[in-house]
Amino acid sequence: MSPLRELQAAFRAALLVDDERAVTSAIVDDDVGVSARLSIYRHHVFTSLAAALGATYPVVTRLVDRRFFAWAADRYVRAYPPAGPCLAEYGADFPAFLAQFPACAHLPWLADVARLEWAMNVALHAPDAAALEPDALRALHPRTLARVTLRFQPSVVLLESPWPIDAIWRANQPDADGVVDLGAGEARLELRRLDDDVVFRALPPGTFAFRAALAAGRALEDAVERALDAEPGFDLTGEIRALLDERLLAT
Amino acid sequence: MNPSGCGIGLRAPHVAEILERRPPIGWLEVHAENYMGGGPAVRALERLRAAYPLSIHGVGLSLGSAEGIDGEHLERLARLVERLEPALVSEHLSWSVTGGAYLNHLLPLPYTDEVLDLLCTNVTRAQERLGRRLLVENPSGYLKFRDSSIPEPEFLNALARRTGCGLLCDVNNVYVTCSNLGGDAVAWIDTLDTGAMGEIHLAGHAANDADGRTVLIDDHGSAVADPVWSLFEHALRRFGPTPTLIEWDTEIPALDVLLGESAKASLRLLRASDVAAA
Repeated sequence: MSPLRELQAAFRAALLVDDERAVTSAIVDDDVGVSARLSIYRHHVFTSLAAALGATYPVVTRLVDRRFFAWAADRYVRAYPPAGPCLAEYGADFPAFLAQFPACAHLPWLADVARLEWAMNVALHAPDAAALEPDALRALHPRTLARVTLRFQPSVVLLESPWPIDAIWRANQPDADGVVDLGAGEARLELRRLDDDVVFRALPPGTFAFRAALAAGRALEDAVERALDAEPGFDLTGEIRALLDERLLAT
Repeated sequence: MNPSGCGIGLRAPHVAEILERRPPIGWLEVHAENYMGGGPAVRALERLRAAYPLSIHGVGLSLGSAEGIDGEHLERLARLVERLEPALVSEHLSWSVTGGAYLNHLLPLPYTDEVLDLLCTNVTRAQERLGRRLLVENPSGYLKFRDSSIPEPEFLNALARRTGCGLLCDVNNVYVTCSNLGGDAVAWIDTLDTGAMGEIHLAGHAANDADGRTVLIDDHGSAVADPVWSLFEHALRRFGPTPTLIEWDTEIPALDVLLGESAKASLRLLRASDVAAA
């Protein structure tokens, strides 16, 4: 290993896991000690990454309170430092981290609220794509149509939870009172960006199963089967028209 | 459109107001890594770049990484530069990536011949992929490595000579580094080659206590300090009129406060132009 590579690995250990042993001897020790100098860098790394997580997860922050969030973020940064420099892309593993975090075990819905906030973040930064025109499907032979796979707009995310995460999210916006009926049942949500805003809405079971299967890359006939399992009265023609009318599909 | 005079670092809270008011601003600088996805911020920037000269300032290329620069990130930067066609592209004399982890900071390097060779390799690779000259900025320093044998401005001069890169002189960083690590800020400026000079940065800093001694923190959270204005005037006497940027990243104030700082810098730039013309 080159000396610089070793030095950088040692610097990382000092910042991320507080192990300064390997780096201390490389740094000039004078009237400000090496530990105090390293802590300037460490402080910036942790506060800036916690701020980035807080910006992506404002509702989780409110639900657990600011100080607990800062502590959880600190633990998360140590376990999952960013893999790249685009901070809007940092924090994909945070919902899974929260699901396993013993200190949050009494909040079983928290990880799913975090999944909703992550999905909103993904939708916000997704690229734009041209909408699929209805004629593109009309031109297909019925037999081909059954096996077709469709591409959604990059900002579309389908998300379900056994908890009413949409109600929890709405009740914890800055001007809301935080009161939620946790017994309100499951949520089946479709998120997308419309102009500059991310919006989400609850879908009926059949529509959700249909769109989630399509979004996962399944063929149309397969998605229809799943939709009928979820909701026997599923109206295929109407649902395909809705996909096109809502401009959910991309070319 | 080429940047001239004073620009400001574009920050999210000011975007809507700038789009609506279109205040006179010399140019805008954005952090590359905030625009590598899609969405409203990118769309707003597409509109702003039609009205103002643009500079792209990378914070994540990690030119000083021993493991080399991340090819995927360089590709994303190159695509952004191709799309936005900025007048200036800059990065830092620092590192932030090791073992695949991105430590969100401009971390310090020992200034040695070995590290200079590495920087030359990485800067050359970046410039070849971008197809253009990169400006490299001096970081703010909080520690010194025992191995460092080359003074920072000489290290930058050698990097510019060997790679053809330009230099971005952050005058506040010079002040902070010299104050924290012992050094003469005026002599630092006087050592930097004038030929490669492409851009100047100005920002505020904070004073913190560490082990009973004052350490200056480059937090970009306040107005430019008086001694930094003086050092800026000195830099302009040495470098001549140079595109100058006001950065403010924490405790972001109202746009007018930022424009006020920009006006102060513009005044000094005008004086420097008069001197240069005389």
